[in-house]
Amino acid sequence: MKKSCIGLLMAALGAIPVTGFAQVKVGAKAEAGATLDADAEGADAKADAKAEGDTAAAGEGDLGAEGEGVGDICKIDPAACPVLDMKKEAARPIKESIYAVQQLYVMRARRFEFEPWWNLRSLNDQFVQHTGPGIAVNYYITNVLAIGANFRYYSPFNDDSAFNGQVRRAARVAVPLTEYEWGASLDFSYVFAYGKFAGFGDFIFEYDAYVLGGVGALSTRPIAVIDPDNRNFEYKPKLAFDVGIGLRVFFSRWFALNVAVKDYGYPEKLENLNVNEVNPGDSRNWLASSSSLTQNVELQAGLSVFVPFSFDYRLPK
Amino acid sequence: MGEGRRKMTRNPRFTKRLLTALTAGLALLGITERSEAQELYLTGPLAGAPAVRKLRLYRRTRFEVAPAVSFSLLDEYQRTILLGARLQFNFTDWLAIGGWGGWGGIRLPTALTDNIQSVNKQRQGLQAGCAANPGGPGCDGVNLTKRLTEVNLGRNLKDQLGGIDWVAAPQITLTPLRGKLALFQSIYMDTDFYISAGPAFVGLKERKNCDPCAGQFTTVSRTTVAPTVALGLSFYMNKWAALGFEYRVLPFAWNIGGFDTAGGGKDNNFPDNKITDADQRFRFNQMMTVSFNFYLPTQYKVSE
Repeated sequence: MKKSCIGLLMAALGAIPVTGFAQVKVGAKAEAGATLDADAEGADAKADAKAEGDTAAAGEGDLGAEGEGVGDICKIDPAACPVLDMKKEAARPIKESIYAVQQLYVMRARRFEFEPWWNLRSLNDQFVQHTGPGIAVNYYITNVLAIGANFRYYSPFNDDSAFNGQVRRAARVAVPLTEYEWGASLDFSYVFAYGKFAGFGDFIFEYDAYVLGGVGALSTRPIAVIDPDNRNFEYKPKLAFDVGIGLRVFFSRWFALNVAVKDYGYPEKLENLNVNEVNPGDSRNWLASSSSLTQNVELQAGLSVFVPFSFDYRLPK
Repeated sequence: MGEGRRKMTRNPRFTKRLLTALTAGLALLGITERSEAQELYLTGPLAGAPAVRKLRLYRRTRFEVAPAVSFSLLDEYQRTILLGARLQFNFTDWLAIGGWGGWGGIRLPTALTDNIQSVNKQRQGLQAGCAANPGGPGCDGVNLTKRLTEVNLGRNLKDQLGGIDWVAAPQITLTPLRGKLALFQSIYMDTDFYISAGPAFVGLKERKNCDPCAGQFTTVSRTTVAPTVALGLSFYMNKWAALGFEYRVLPFAWNIGGFDTAGGGKDNNFPDNKITDADQRFRFNQMMTVSFNFYLPTQYKVSE
């Protein structure tokens, strides 16, 4: 028991320096600030500091510099000597400029962004939903401009709506359908807006909005609905262009929720509506003769992870 | 005296108590110092202060009149454009009661409708030819198609499509989030995010139930009640006006194409050659709304 008490005593003693360190650290910061100020004031302060020692210089340097500066002007030209009525100056209204966002919550420049997401829904395709996972990696060249690459995987997640079968059965009209395998693109993205929200006036979170555009490939194939007994299509990659707009809601300086709407446009050769009754197995007649521009607008939701996790501001707040 | 003290200090019980008290004291000292640091924060100039000072209360005790245009999304057969407005009174900056309504007078057919109607028209030409010459080439197929589609396709598909005539939705609006937006690092706007919810009364037009249905393609109106939820953003342009964008769902079941798709077979999932309530399909009925919001009185209040 006696030993345990001694142990507890040592532990309690150990706790005191921890608190002490915290206080020293605060002081150390203050000293660092003073040194910076002294450096900034000019060479006069440093000259005085050399004569009187480093410790004294931090205190006297500032005063000396200011005092001598004003004094010199007054000696050379008394008319130019500044005379300030301090009471009048203090009563003068100050119109301080306040920026909408005083210090950006997240600095993106020279950071990587890893962005896993899920395609929640195809917003313009009532017939086949192209959902699936995707991932993007962006590198921010500046705070608002990034270059990146992304990959999307659709193959097992294409969902041919029951509605298509109902239309075929009811109207005897088949709508050519398409399914996707994968997509990849290189994008530029630009953060055009940022801001902050207050929730019930109690907590604040930051967000930004971005647009992106790029070029890549999309591997697609028609779903055989006109002559499914004879036709069987292979996936083929096509040149695809994409544009999009997104919103990031930051939970921390490196972690955010990311929601985006992206439009992937590509030339698609749909299934041929006519069947060659002489030789229906001839694959040369399976596709339409011309390509049509197809748009796939996707709603994506995911996360953004910025690496490195931390960053330094160039200027103090 | 001195001997007595020595005796006392040698008392193991006393030593134990002393060490315990000293430990507890030092531990308390350590904790107290940390607590004081926290108290400084709690009792400092920011203690109890709101997250935002001088908040512009754009909504508090103000009427909101917002003419709006709503565009239906993911429509299979026809798009509906609703012209309407949102009217509400904001009791606080985060709570409002009012309503949204619209008239769905503008309807635009989708490519699918045009495609089906194009085929339908072509078939009607063939059927007319086969009626004049029943033994002509291909007339067996034409007649079969006619028999298979006579319950579902009239002369013009557009005439049998379901549509939203009007919507009236009393609703409560909560505005949990508000903030500001810097656009291109040069334009600054106040903005807020809101959620509205309530029951919606929806006036519909859809194909009339029928049995038998060949040649029966008239439509009737009915009113249904459905829940509605909207998520929106308001961007304030000045003290009394804002631009609004809103996403809304109106989930209910209706027969959008006027087709016989259910009512027979296993689980009623096959056509039964009748148009009944079973042919109504559940849809979320999504729409995007753009509004221009006016706030009255024109001057907002400002918080502490």
